[in-house]
Amino acid sequence: MLRRINWRRYGLVVVTLPVVILVFVASAFAPVIAPYDPYALDVLVMLEGPSEKHLLGTDELGRDILSRVMQASRISIVVGLVAVGIGAFGGTLIGLLAAWFGGKIDAVLMRFMDIVFCFPAILLAVILMANLGTSVLNAMLAIGIIFIPGFARLTRAVAQTVQRQPFLEAAICLGVPGRRIVLREILPNVIGPVLVEAAVAFSYAVLLESALSFLGLGAQPPEPSWGNMINTGRGFIDQAPWISLAPGVALFLTVFSFNLLGDGLRDVLDPKLRG
Amino acid sequence: MLRLVLGRLASFVPTLFVASMVLFLAVNVVPGSAARSALGIHATPQALKRFEHQHGLDRPLAVQYVEWAGRALRGDFGTSFQNAVAVGPDVRKRIPVTLQLAGMAFLVAVAIAIPLGLVAGFRHQSGTDGVVTTLATLFGSTPNFWLATLLIYLFSLRLGWLPTGGYTPFSEDPVANLRGMLLPCIALGVVSSGLLIRIMRTAVIEVMFSNFIETARSKGVSNFRLLTAHVVRNALIPFFTVSAVEFGFLVGSVVIIEDVFRIPGIGSLVLVGIINRDYPVLLAAAMSVTVIVLIVNLLVDLAAQVIDPRQVHTGS
Repeated sequence: MLRRINWRRYGLVVVTLPVVILVFVASAFAPVIAPYDPYALDVLVMLEGPSEKHLLGTDELGRDILSRVMQASRISIVVGLVAVGIGAFGGTLIGLLAAWFGGKIDAVLMRFMDIVFCFPAILLAVILMANLGTSVLNAMLAIGIIFIPGFARLTRAVAQTVQRQPFLEAAICLGVPGRRIVLREILPNVIGPVLVEAAVAFSYAVLLESALSFLGLGAQPPEPSWGNMINTGRGFIDQAPWISLAPGVALFLTVFSFNLLGDGLRDVLDPKLRG
Repeated sequence: MLRLVLGRLASFVPTLFVASMVLFLAVNVVPGSAARSALGIHATPQALKRFEHQHGLDRPLAVQYVEWAGRALRGDFGTSFQNAVAVGPDVRKRIPVTLQLAGMAFLVAVAIAIPLGLVAGFRHQSGTDGVVTTLATLFGSTPNFWLATLLIYLFSLRLGWLPTGGYTPFSEDPVANLRGMLLPCIALGVVSSGLLIRIMRTAVIEVMFSNFIETARSKGVSNFRLLTAHVVRNALIPFFTVSAVEFGFLVGSVVIIEDVFRIPGIGSLVLVGIINRDYPVLLAAAMSVTVIVLIVNLLVDLAAQVIDPRQVHTGS
């Protein structure tokens, strides 16, 4: 039997997935497909506009902007992946523990999460970065920590719903050990929503990393990142607006497509939520 | 009512304390860097020790926290490591600037979100809805510092309509003040409107499914009147309570926008504190941002109860 595919349900994923894959491929193979060495200076072509030789122009040191935008995508992707990994792992763990044990443990854990959650994310990231020291590794750590409360809240809510269902009561009555119930019965139910949240969190991580780099607290020059390229470009914006424009467009498109992918995944995994 | 207000206040105080502890801890994770930064890299170990002793940085963190919190409660945030000037007055002078910026940016966001969210919710699951929802994601995905850079390029450098940055107090020259605030508010507001459009849309959809809308429809109320008399009013309450969270994010985002537009608010003070590793300045600035966010959330929470007592709160 052929099941009719509901394209409306999969539409967003079908449209955004190619863009997302393109971003990943471009960053993975950046050293191979980039037309120039992103660090190579060329004083003869400083601040040149887009041309056939340099598709997106050159910056104040004559470096090829297209190559630098591609190189910079690697930092964004890696920071996004690791930060979301830290947030999803930590948050899921805390959420599962809070939901399973309940009572005082739940109250203390979630109260603490609420308080971390109420800080404006960028403020917390900036302060953590300033003290951990400005490096890409610390950016991942700082952003990852910020994501923990969001994932914890989500996981706890889903786990609590699952725990109220009859099949779980049955498992408890049968004497299945707690660890097994949490890992085999509750966790699989949590993964879907966590995945949706992860796609959105990834786009937010990319945004936060570039904000930190823009402020000079993330990736340090000459290492290119979208944030520090936009910041450098500000100084030359009157003569060479493309220096800020190109990395900004790359950043915006990445964030936009990941947000849409998150929406699309929500449609696929839980059509009920489509409101 | 009074019990409710007191209850809220009672949970506000411990939240404030734990928040201040988290902040204090975050600022002090790496010991010793303040002295090095204040005295430079060539300072002798003895000089570093003396500096730390002088500022009480060699004592246990808990002791330092209690002393800092005790003085902060009395409005004394200590003196700057860099120039020994009292931090408190400077912070107080900057708070109104940041509040004006965040407040006006929030207005911009609301002005975009209410009409768009209304149309999307009213024409739920139509083509219009799809376009508005995508637009909301588009706005929300725009990096505000990049949008700010583009706005400066277009409106200040190319067209020359507005200043590239800087700040004039409202009391000195209201027109110059508003002209300077316009671009930062648009940069912050457009990005924030992304989330607000979604919130408004959800609130409208919720109202659309309630019984009184059905009743109004069956009475033959026109679409226009339905929208203006019934839907908007009922959707605005949940809209404002939920969007208060976004106001908190807005206050946080001023860190970066104030830097781009050179506005002397709390956000730029946070950055000054970080660049100089000036802990008293950083702590005072970060704490006041946090307190603003907490107070806004508290006020909105209380206002929501007053406007709509139907909202029964469970739990904490």
